[in-house]
Amino acid sequence: MKETTNVFAEYCSTLSESDAAAVRDFFSEFNVYFKLSKKESRKFRSDFENALMAITRRGVSVHEALNRLSMSNLGGFYARPAVQWFPLDEAAKIYPFSMDHGRQQMFRLSIYFKEDVVPELLQMALTFTIKRFPSFATTLKKGFFWHYLDTVKKRFAVTEECDMPCQPIKVSMSGSGAFRLTYYKNRMSVEFFHVITDGTGGMVFIKAVASEYLRLLGVECPADATGDLYDVNETPHPEEFENAFVKIEKAKSGGGFVEKSALQLTGKPANHSPCRVLHLKMNSDKLREVARSQGATVTAYLLLQMFLACHASTDELSGDINIQVPVNMRKYYESRTLRNFSMFCGIRLPVDQMENREQMLREIATQLTEKAAKDKMHAMITSAVSIVGGIRLIPLFIKDPLVRLVYSFMNEKSYTSTLSNLGVISMPEPLAKHIDHMDFCLGAPAINRVACSAITFNNTTVFTICKMTSDPTFEEKIYKYFLEDGLEIEVEGSDHYAY
Amino acid sequence: MHIKITYPPVEKHRFARRKLLNILRWPFVLAAVASVIVNIAIGGVFWSSIAVVALWSAWSLIFSVDLVEYNRTSQSIKTISFAIVLLTLIDLFLAPGFAVFVVPIVYFAGLIFCAVLLFTDFETQRHNIMPLLLFIFFAIVTSAVGLALWHEHDFWPLIVLGVVAAVLLIAIIVMLGADFKRELIKRFHID
Repeated sequence: MKETTNVFAEYCSTLSESDAAAVRDFFSEFNVYFKLSKKESRKFRSDFENALMAITRRGVSVHEALNRLSMSNLGGFYARPAVQWFPLDEAAKIYPFSMDHGRQQMFRLSIYFKEDVVPELLQMALTFTIKRFPSFATTLKKGFFWHYLDTVKKRFAVTEECDMPCQPIKVSMSGSGAFRLTYYKNRMSVEFFHVITDGTGGMVFIKAVASEYLRLLGVECPADATGDLYDVNETPHPEEFENAFVKIEKAKSGGGFVEKSALQLTGKPANHSPCRVLHLKMNSDKLREVARSQGATVTAYLLLQMFLACHASTDELSGDINIQVPVNMRKYYESRTLRNFSMFCGIRLPVDQMENREQMLREIATQLTEKAAKDKMHAMITSAVSIVGGIRLIPLFIKDPLVRLVYSFMNEKSYTSTLSNLGVISMPEPLAKHIDHMDFCLGAPAINRVACSAITFNNTTVFTICKMTSDPTFEEKIYKYFLEDGLEIEVEGSDHYAY
Repeated sequence: MHIKITYPPVEKHRFARRKLLNILRWPFVLAAVASVIVNIAIGGVFWSSIAVVALWSAWSLIFSVDLVEYNRTSQSIKTISFAIVLLTLIDLFLAPGFAVFVVPIVYFAGLIFCAVLLFTDFETQRHNIMPLLLFIFFAIVTSAVGLALWHEHDFWPLIVLGVVAAVLLIAIIVMLGADFKRELIKRFHID
């Protein structure tokens, strides 16, 4: 910290008198915006100093740089005490119970810029954005009956990526956050503990951070072209934090949670989870065309390829392959919530009936239509709300072992894998041209050997495979099937960590 | 399949806690079961309960630590609570008669220790206050019940325990002000 201050003092000494005065003026306001501990305030001050130097290094005038870094972007967030708190939504309530040492329900969203990330500006982008998402600026706490999210006013640090995606976040320490923002070369990634949001909420957040980052870099986005992008200086709306599940009227009957066991891929689980992450990049128009030529939607087509690859990756001759597909409830129920608001369904096919592709595809499409239908999801939400309501008065110290026990019976054993398709993501044109592509990665499951996800941006679909076993059959087969269908695939990813 | 590596190299992970727990779990379970079996086999007082609680304390405090709210307040209270339970069990099964006097002393000393931890870093620790509030609540109950049941004994530690707990509770209410009510609402929410 001292070193940074010295560097900044040196930097200031090189400025003209008027620039130096402008910088002094700028920092004279600092204490108005930060009512935090000295240690925490010093970190923020250092961030501002580093960002100022980073912007001016790019040939921007000091006045323009100070304008971009204006402290009014903080909106008083750090000047007010932390008083907000958020009960967990119905879907999130299970996540603290399903946590274990080294295991957490995580997912990750990444944006690949056309240039390498400037960490100092990314840090400021996060600092300016977080106030718009108060339910993300939280720490997980224990209540007497339920866990909850307690607001924390601290610097959420941006760090350089140094591990495999979706490693657990230590949420146990005082004020520890439930997400992490990292960068590596031209990639910016946000990894979320599912307790704070789902894929849709996470996407809103990462888009807001990216737009703020690009603004700091000097990319202009006219106000009328922002589309669905959140204005980070707008006051958050209460509907964005609502527990949308409880607003839905109860269905006549519940259901949908209990599934019989499914086959698991035969590969030995690796010690390092995930042991490999692969991104299969393809042209989305071409993908859509291939899917359409087979009479299927993109999701159904991807599921077909997964079923075939799963079939090739298991030695079992009987039983079912069951692929979990998350379903975004926002498409059925109007909601602006940034919290969790998704359910899931299982697409199940017997392993001994995987010869006829057309028949399989028909079956997948039928099951997708039926099982992800609004009435089925409604019944599932009713069950979730009823279960939560039924145990709400049991103290947490009793509920914890009970829920863990039940979860151990109902968890991933029912599924072979997961496919989460976030669909087509859009960004305003002035910002989109600075972004190459995006990817979306699910965290390592406990039992399943593979989890898949897909996202489309800028006419590029990225199909991500998160591997928990060294056995390469799944990815090799799915790659081969895509090629056989005429898709051109570019494969990116991590090295393989088998130890 | 040609893979373009776009991730940083990962250094070999340190021995993962989960792995360590999976290995250590069995010696702990075996030791607990063995102590109960030996206790039943040789008869006598139920001393194995002390062994089981001691093993559980070590497991919970050192190895399988809390995944939510692992902070100095919660861990101090957990340690003191285990100590109190162990002292009570020792009194019950091995050396009767000392707990009524010793346990309140350990309890109020623990309360004072927690108060020091709280007030030396109030801004941070105010967010970890729930275990302390429960600890204070049980201290007041223990003091009241203890005085009702054992008032013919040397009962000054029970009085001190009640007084320390009450003073600490008042201090917390004063320091937190309106936040005290908010703290109770969020800690006891049921939705």
